[in-house]
Amino acid sequence: MIYAIYTLIGISVIFALAGVVGMLRFPDSFSRMQASTNISTFGVLGVILGGILYSLFIFDTPDIAMAVKLAVMGVFYIITNPIAGHAIAKAAYKKGIRPEKEMTCDKYGEDLENAD
Amino acid sequence: MKKTSFSAFLSTAVVCYIFWLLITGQIVSIFTGGASVQILIAGVLVSVLTALFTARFFIHSKAFWLFNPLRFFVWVYYCLIIFMWELTKANVDVALRAFGFKKNNPGIVKIETELKSEYAQSMLANSITLTPGTITMDIAEEGNKTYYYIHWIDVATTDIAEAGDGIKGTMEKWIRRIWE
Repeated sequence: MIYAIYTLIGISVIFALAGVVGMLRFPDSFSRMQASTNISTFGVLGVILGGILYSLFIFDTPDIAMAVKLAVMGVFYIITNPIAGHAIAKAAYKKGIRPEKEMTCDKYGEDLENAD
Repeated sequence: MKKTSFSAFLSTAVVCYIFWLLITGQIVSIFTGGASVQILIAGVLVSVLTALFTARFFIHSKAFWLFNPLRFFVWVYYCLIIFMWELTKANVDVALRAFGFKKNNPGIVKIETELKSEYAQSMLANSITLTPGTITMDIAEEGNKTYYYIHWIDVATTDIAEAGDGIKGTMEKWIRRIWE
């Protein structure tokens, strides 16, 4: 069982690394936000799942309360994270941040101009 | 501001109390015996107070919709199986882009959704944002149609219907099963 936990935490470390590399490599702020979702989904969920398995199978007496708390942490993380991501992306766009390289298509900007 | 209806208050209080039981660890003690009565009563007080203040933000209609066991089961199935599969595919895709195996082609597309319920629309928007590679920028209602503006890291097509199929995948079908 300990090797399954190692595998889970290893996978999430790999995805967190991919997220950090993406945040440094991608050219504009919106693409960087896309890379950061990598960290906030698999990077966190893998560690939490590993922690749940650890508290259930590795301790001498299984600590179910701890596993339940970890699961609740995961649920709150998943609920609150997309709202913050959406708010940051919308605020950045409204503030006037645009990629240096022209985007392939920008339906949002077109519709905002038509509305004014 | 909206008034707090009694059904909204009741369902918010029940959800708060369930989370109280989970976080304090009393849910385990109830089954094994030895739950502390003091903590259980304090939980009732805290949940009722919280629900009084927050029910009008939390529940707008259909207060007991998810208390139906069948819908709740479909909801859990969606979160654990359908959504996790979409998440895995998108995570691998964005990780490959980060390491430079694939080229980016970012842009903002517009897609249409047929969902009518408020909860379903926000759940679909949050599912899309949580999937790496797509972020919901805004939601717009034109006439009786609802549109999302989505920042997509790899714009395959700008057509409303085709882009919608590519982004929403199977998620919209399952969310409609839960909420409609």
